[in-house]
Amino acid sequence: MGRIQLHDIRKSFGAVDVLKGIDLTIDEGELVVFVGPSGCGKSTLLRMIAGLDKPTAGRVEIDGADVTARSAADRGLAMVFQSYALYPHMTVRANMAFGLQNTRMPKAEIDSRIAEAARMLEIEPLLDRRPGQLSGGQRQRVAIGRAIVRRPTAFLLDEPLSNLDAELRVSMRAELSALHDRLGATMIHVTHDQVEAMTMADRIVVLRAGKVEQVDTPLNLFNRPANLFVAGFIGAPGMNLWAGQARDGSVHLDNGALLPLPVGLHVPDGAVTLGIRPQHLRPQTGGPLRAKVRLIEALGPESVVHADLGAEHGLLAVLPGQPDLARGAVLDLGYDPQSVHVFGADGQRLG
Amino acid sequence: MTGVKGVLGAVVAAPLGWLARLLEAPLRLWQRLAGQTGMVAFFLLPNMAIFTVFVLVPLVINIAYSMTTGAALFLPERTFVGAAQFERLLRCTDYTDLMTCQEDQFWIALRNTGTFVVLQVSLLIVAATITALILNRALRALSFWRAVFFFPVLLSPVVVGLIWRWILDRNGVLNAALVGMGMDPVNWLLERNYAFSAAIGVTIWAHLGFFALILLAGLQAIPRDLYEAAEMDGTKPARVFWRITLPLLMPNMLVVIVLALIRAVQVFDEAYVLTGGGPGTATLFLTQYIYEVGFASLLKNPGLAAAASILMGGVLIVLTLLQLALGKRNERRGKLK
Repeated sequence: MGRIQLHDIRKSFGAVDVLKGIDLTIDEGELVVFVGPSGCGKSTLLRMIAGLDKPTAGRVEIDGADVTARSAADRGLAMVFQSYALYPHMTVRANMAFGLQNTRMPKAEIDSRIAEAARMLEIEPLLDRRPGQLSGGQRQRVAIGRAIVRRPTAFLLDEPLSNLDAELRVSMRAELSALHDRLGATMIHVTHDQVEAMTMADRIVVLRAGKVEQVDTPLNLFNRPANLFVAGFIGAPGMNLWAGQARDGSVHLDNGALLPLPVGLHVPDGAVTLGIRPQHLRPQTGGPLRAKVRLIEALGPESVVHADLGAEHGLLAVLPGQPDLARGAVLDLGYDPQSVHVFGADGQRLG
Repeated sequence: MTGVKGVLGAVVAAPLGWLARLLEAPLRLWQRLAGQTGMVAFFLLPNMAIFTVFVLVPLVINIAYSMTTGAALFLPERTFVGAAQFERLLRCTDYTDLMTCQEDQFWIALRNTGTFVVLQVSLLIVAATITALILNRALRALSFWRAVFFFPVLLSPVVVGLIWRWILDRNGVLNAALVGMGMDPVNWLLERNYAFSAAIGVTIWAHLGFFALILLAGLQAIPRDLYEAAEMDGTKPARVFWRITLPLLMPNMLVVIVLALIRAVQVFDEAYVLTGGGPGTATLFLTQYIYEVGFASLLKNPGLAAAASILMGGVLIVLTLLQLALGKRNERRGKLK
């Protein structure tokens, strides 16, 4: 239970098209992350699935049944809100019981479900407190607990970690993944944080301007981005993307650099964009890239080097360890031609 | 714009600046002489003086009056009687029958005011809550409707009373409409229950907007997420209201209730213009009783009026303290969040 299918979902607010035809299938038990920049429509899409907003056109199916016209309550889904949306005047216990009482569930059953969820989330000592007396992380757990007790067919999580501090976010990320493994339920998680998406998802849906750019596993997105947007969006620091002309198995950049393409990849002559991840660049005497160091971010185990590649292009390289480099130094870099990504003039991946 | 600013500058700012420069030297000297505490007292003095002359002194005189008797206006000419006026107000042979009370008018006014307060405040709160709930929906032309409901609050109470007298009068607009529709006219202001109901209805109409506005502010402060969470849980609208909206509105609601109680206890102007306390004593309220005993009746008795006003003041002080306590509690709760 918990297979969700979206067929050509569209949503317009007046003249503004927020979602422009989304087709997507989320399998039972999957943890899917919707990721994209602000305003890409990811939260709107989640609200369509939840039933809090109705799509302008298109169909939502849950386990094969068309639920587009059904109310939010009749879809069997539970949502965790960005603000947690806990009822401030009720205790944690009352917050968790509230939804179950609507279904006229016997009190004993409600109590046992709350006890089970509280044990799972380690919030038993908090049950008689009010949300105002809890820390951000504790409220987060209660919000998740409130969803768990309903035993929904799927969990919808709308940026649930964005109100937590960095440290807590990392640990809650791991806890949410562990919880997903334990419950085995379908989860849809919305975030603008691509690290969150990469670390948690079975599959990631990358959205931009109301359209799906790519749906794939985190590593496939990283290794084989379908287009320039995904290439630039996934991965931190972002991929180096340089415009140039493809000719005879190499790419000529404006500054005269000649960059070899992967062996066996046929790229027609013409304008292309070449992408290399900062992690794939290595210092190499006489290498094809000659860059002037602008800034070094020494992180300890690795260093992020910001450099200029001629007047037009910037360059980012993540070098292992703590290389002996100074601002203004000239650095020769090379790469394994198999690790480059080539995008055509239309922004789509070649090869 | 620059023209207006220029004129304002010449007319207002320039003379003020000139005045400030003129006062600077003497004020600095005074500050050196008086010290910091002295300066605080110096700037508070005008306000305190006005408060003393128009509030504090009359209050003390009023207390003094309540312990005297006679029709003489000036205090030194009045006879001291101690608590006799209070005794007169409160003495009854049989407290179940108001007619056996020495000052039966006071007791009637008290009973009327009590009934009025209970009915008017409860109806007002319900009506204001419903109005606020409706206004809180994403209504078209919301500001227009808000203005419509708030407009009566801006009217002078006497104007409110007059408008409704024209409507409810024997030969008023309402009866004209009834006759026009082939029905018999009704003596809205001459029949006891109708007149009392009219006093309640008119004061509700006049104050509704004010209280609805406070409640609306409270409603708009409730996060939308909570309603969406309730929607996901399949909560019925009535349960949403009783379990989510009302508890979260409670801080504003309590303030509104206490304010409405204070205003209702003081009811006078609208009702007096509308019914003049009648028919008979059907709409005689405490403030009108005090006014009539003290100033309007043939046998003026300022001492008795003063005593009654002190009793009423006691009730108002209790309500005001309640309001202050609620205000403080809300402030503390606000800080906790």
